[in-house]
Amino acid sequence: MTESERKLAELLVTTLELEDIRPEDIDPQAPLFREGLGLDSIDALEIALAVSQHYGVQLKADDTANREAFASLAALAQFISTHRTTAA
Amino acid sequence: MLMQPLAITAWTLTSALGAGRAATLASLQARRGGLRPCDLPHSPRDCWIGRVPGLETLGLPEAYAAFDCRNNRLAELTLSRDDFPAACARAAARYGAAAIGVFLGTSTSGIAQTERAYRERQTAASSLPPWYDYRHTHDLYSLTRYVRARLGLAGPALSVSTACSSSAKVFATAARHIEAGLCRAAVVGGVDSLCLMTLYGFRSLQLVSPKPCRPADPKRDGISLGEAGGFALLEPCGGNIGLALLGCGESSDAYHMSAPHPGGGGAARAMRQALLDAALAPGEIDWVHLHGTATPANDLAEDRALESVFGPGMAASSTKGWTGHTLGAAGIVSFAMAALALEEGFLPGTLNTRRPDPTFSSEILLENRPVVPRRVMLNALGFGGNNASLVLGHAGRID
Amino acid sequence: MDLAIGGIGCIAPGLVGWAEARPILGGDLSYASTPLPRLVPKDLAPNERRRLGQITRLALSAGQDALAQAVTDASSLATVFTSASGDGEIIHSVCRELARPTPALSPTKFHHSVHNAPAGYWAIARQDHAPSTSVSAHDASFAAGLLEATTQVKSGHAVLLVAYDRADPFPLSLACPIIGSFACALLLYHPATVTAAEAMITLAIGPAEPETRLDIPELEILRRNNPAARALPWLAALARGGKTRTVLPYLDDRTLIIQTRSG
Repeated sequence: MTESERKLAELLVTTLELEDIRPEDIDPQAPLFREGLGLDSIDALEIALAVSQHYGVQLKADDTANREAFASLAALAQFISTHRTTAA
Repeated sequence: MLMQPLAITAWTLTSALGAGRAATLASLQARRGGLRPCDLPHSPRDCWIGRVPGLETLGLPEAYAAFDCRNNRLAELTLSRDDFPAACARAAARYGAAAIGVFLGTSTSGIAQTERAYRERQTAASSLPPWYDYRHTHDLYSLTRYVRARLGLAGPALSVSTACSSSAKVFATAARHIEAGLCRAAVVGGVDSLCLMTLYGFRSLQLVSPKPCRPADPKRDGISLGEAGGFALLEPCGGNIGLALLGCGESSDAYHMSAPHPGGGGAARAMRQALLDAALAPGEIDWVHLHGTATPANDLAEDRALESVFGPGMAASSTKGWTGHTLGAAGIVSFAMAALALEEGFLPGTLNTRRPDPTFSSEILLENRPVVPRRVMLNALGFGGNNASLVLGHAGRID
Repeated sequence: MDLAIGGIGCIAPGLVGWAEARPILGGDLSYASTPLPRLVPKDLAPNERRRLGQITRLALSAGQDALAQAVTDASSLATVFTSASGDGEIIHSVCRELARPTPALSPTKFHHSVHNAPAGYWAIARQDHAPSTSVSAHDASFAAGLLEATTQVKSGHAVLLVAYDRADPFPLSLACPIIGSFACALLLYHPATVTAAEAMITLAIGPAEPETRLDIPELEILRRNNPAARALPWLAALARGGKTRTVLPYLDDRTLIIQTRSG
């Protein structure tokens, strides 16, 4: 897990109040939704809000172009680093 | 289960289409919608709203000053039309004020006062300002308490707050209270007013359209919020042959807090229950007033529900493009549209929608249609998967 | 109106579950207020459960407590949730955010702001499609909820009533002075459909008369300051058994009179 992935994992665990999951437990390549962490559409919106507040990067949860960003922790970290405009 | 039909002996509605029945009817017939770009102070600007003009300067009677908030002002304005208080006074003379229940729906009551009070705080350690009165404004029962007092009624009362189904469910609550003998007649309805929580909240769910909402359009992209108040007086039918509540159906999706069951299973269950309650076959309903919020998911799920209950081709409209989605008042707005359809003999079309979604099975009406329906159904589907359907028609009518 | 009571739930500090509450409210054990543990409602998937606020946990836990003692089939139940205050933590958090220059509301918090959030989660947890309503009548919320639930009880249709109220956080707490945490739940049946019941009751709306009080001082304070806890004198009557008459506050100066006969 890269440093930026670890920081993002911490944000997810706090934002989504994940029970019994530590940031380091999240597999960067595993899917975030359904069979992976089991997150749903509300979590996607919650992540979009947290990411916009922390990184200044806008995500639209139903946008096909953004769907890839939600594929995994690694994909989300990559998306943020590509689109980042402000410092965390 | 069969319900005894209840006569609807008086009703009124105030929304962005106007205050009272005549103004509502005139707007519908002139195809004049009520949505406008959002211009409420402190609110997001990239959306349209169905705002009721004049609430900012409207005052409550002095004895009720403690109740002053946007929601109760809207209640007061709504009460001032169509001689609704006079009809209630006649009912009170007939049954006794203590025999008339008051059951009203609201989702956010007077929360705008709390929003304002929090804005006035200097720091996180500050109390709320001295003018702030939770009990008479924000409290969910404040609306019912206010209206019950203004109408001089003293029967059983409560507020129903099940999000967007609230003011449809009050009809079922009233019917049950009357059937149980707890009251003999009832005032039902609801009031919900625009506030920042819903304007920003639906936005955070990415459910708000940047344009006037377009229900059932293949390019629909979310809701426009609105505000409205409406009341109806329910009495035993007796020899009455006018407008009547024929059946109520309620159900839970048991699926998700803020997304409808994709197959519309919960909505279909409420619709079937309403038919059962009214002892009617699906073919005896001529038109459905959809919940029709104009989100991609809601309209699709509701269309699926209509197909499973009625089969393909059921005539249906949504009026959210006229008034906006009035949340806790959506049920009573739908009731008023359905009542106008039955009493005035026309089915309102779906405003702003350019063409019906070609994947839909129902026949979505775009233009107003001059038809005298025998019986109509209306749906109100809320967060928490809370669904209600009502069947309206004429009491004592034989086809 | 006659009803059979088929299960009772109670959650409050020092009264966590009817099994613990019964001997205390019945006068056999003394009351000691201990802080509520973190409540973990059963039946709900961890992914739904993680999002729940305290008041929803309180309401769901009381409902499950009542269901655990169900004397007859409770697989599908209409529900009535009644609360004067609703979720003050959510209102506080939302209004605080809305006071900022560019508010960014949490979508989760917003969809939890509806009064019927506990009812929605209850239906999801139980996978129950039965009708559900959520009501409020300020200090008369318990009595109004009980009346609403009673009107829904039909032969073959049991109803679950859940009443809950919890103190709001500062500064709302000063404007809406509810104290403590209290939730109770009652499983209501048509008297003709049950052979074994906790108690049979008869309900009527009555004129003004003094409310029944509690002789446990700390709980009497809770009763007076938490609308859901207005149910406590009746729960005490159910705990004691025998024939009792309980007077609960209703709207204006009227009362709800409950005649209880326990087996």
